[in-house]
Amino acid sequence: MKRVIGIFVVLLCLPTLLIAQEGVEHDNILKLKIGTGYQFDSYLSPLGYTGLQFGLGNEWWQPFRQDTRLGRSGRLAHWAHVGCVDMCVTDYHSSARSNSYLGLQIAAGWGAFYEWRWLEDRLRVHVGPYLETGFSGRYHAGNVNKIVSFDVAIDAMAMTGISWSFYGKRTSYRLNYQFRTNILGFDYLPEYWESYYEITEGVPGQPRCSGPWNHNTVKHELTLDMQFIRSTWRIGCEHEYVSYGTDNLHFMHNQFSLVLGCRWKYKIHANARL
Amino acid sequence: MSISKSILYVLAATILLVSCRSREEVKFSMDPKENVEALWQIIDTKYCYIDAKGIDWASIHDEYIAKAELLERDDQVALFDLCAGMLDSLRDGHVNLFSAFDRSYSTAWYDTLPANFDTRLQALYLHDYRIAGSLYYCTIDNGKIGYIYYSSFSNDISTSNMAWVLSAFADCNGLIIDVRNNGGGDITNAYRLAAPFFSDDQTIGYWQHKTGPGHNDFSALEPMKLKVSLAGGNRWQKPVVVLSNRITYSAANLFVSMMRYADQSLIVGGLSGGGGGMPMSYELPCGWMVRFSSVRMYDRDKDDIEQGVYPDILVTQQSDDKDDIIEKAIEVINTSFR
Repeated sequence: MKRVIGIFVVLLCLPTLLIAQEGVEHDNILKLKIGTGYQFDSYLSPLGYTGLQFGLGNEWWQPFRQDTRLGRSGRLAHWAHVGCVDMCVTDYHSSARSNSYLGLQIAAGWGAFYEWRWLEDRLRVHVGPYLETGFSGRYHAGNVNKIVSFDVAIDAMAMTGISWSFYGKRTSYRLNYQFRTNILGFDYLPEYWESYYEITEGVPGQPRCSGPWNHNTVKHELTLDMQFIRSTWRIGCEHEYVSYGTDNLHFMHNQFSLVLGCRWKYKIHANARL
Repeated sequence: MSISKSILYVLAATILLVSCRSREEVKFSMDPKENVEALWQIIDTKYCYIDAKGIDWASIHDEYIAKAELLERDDQVALFDLCAGMLDSLRDGHVNLFSAFDRSYSTAWYDTLPANFDTRLQALYLHDYRIAGSLYYCTIDNGKIGYIYYSSFSNDISTSNMAWVLSAFADCNGLIIDVRNNGGGDITNAYRLAAPFFSDDQTIGYWQHKTGPGHNDFSALEPMKLKVSLAGGNRWQKPVVVLSNRITYSAANLFVSMMRYADQSLIVGGLSGGGGGMPMSYELPCGWMVRFSSVRMYDRDKDDIEQGVYPDILVTQQSDDKDDIIEKAIEVINTSFR
């Protein structure tokens, strides 16, 4: 089990290391999520399902360029980018408690943002575009035919956030709020009448253009970073609401998670000689 | 506005959003009428053989709704039996109702046909056998003919299993594949078992999925391709006889259907059970699950295989001391293919 968790953590952190720039300060947050959720999938059932979810995620922030002024003038670059990889497993039960879904959700995204700062950089607001690709699969555990349903989406999103740094009695804190919502993208749905055999045999469903008129994604995150001895820890909550469909089908999930994370900053120096 | 107030607003908004549920969600209900109505609707819009079987589904609605109104709300067993009765009118082995206390099933699709299979008689041939994966195999007729018994396509077989079995029969004159009383399973296994008997990739049938709620809303026929690469290099170029009976159903029925197009092959036994519709499932407001046929399958000649596949040589079991169908297969291999 330790080995499996280790592999997951390495996989989650891998994108950070791959895109890391030399001499630039990277801000990395590894997160553990535990929460509850609601799932509605009219392809599988007319009933709503609720249950528990567990997830791991990794998020990284870094300025766009190697800023030589950093440390000299004390000014940070205003343009930066953010990346995120999230994996989540869900175990939901029907309102009749007769069946259950086992689910897997994977999302990966990248965005760029511009950051405004006030009050000696303690108050920050950022806005920018974010591109996310997500996969969500559900396995109907109580079904003799091993019924599955899944959806895939690529979304161009709008991202905004605010953070406020302050000092407490013994340590410093940073309160963050982030919000993302979809603007335009593509998604894939199975056709209402299509059996799961046909889906798995490769018969196309409905790849289509998606946007707020037929696909709503809203993600919120409210977190508090606090320094504890030499490390920075994050606690908070996340909310994700996704709803989409066609005339015949409607999919929705609504999840709320508690987040516990560890945050660290690092720089990569090429050819460093000790 | 203070920061703390902002946080409170954000939390309130989050809680509000978390409580969102789908407007289309059906609430859990044990109401008999509501469940019978939901079951009728599911079959009416999703089941693929209503018109093909000439079922008067509208009159069934009126009959069963009237019965549901007489049921007591908490009598789950009575509601189950009522729903099962409604489904029984479809005469389909792929139609079941699942609850925590029972599973309904139909026997109407095979009741009127002769059994044509007796394990006691089969044991006269299937002895000193080996088991490769899920394939029971041995030689019969003094080692001249290979015999394979495959009881369920739900049990996986591999190309390695097939390689061992076919190599064991390398010196035989022919091969019998017995899929009697095989209720089906995974069609991938049907493809895998059939592949060594074909010399090239080919269309072995068609399927057609529903495209709307009407009884005849179907897509165009889409070909089902058998790829010989599934055989993993295994190839059988001698006669092969497939044995079928009334409970050769679903994936086994598809196997029989496709084997009619194999090189040097014949089907011997009884009419297969059918089950040409691939099953799909849905749930009722009470949480019970209903399974039903949702995709129609056809053979290469575009004939529906829901009602079974006729054998090339029809044999009905009559003897008490030998398996007439296996005997006929031996005779066919020793005479007809020469």
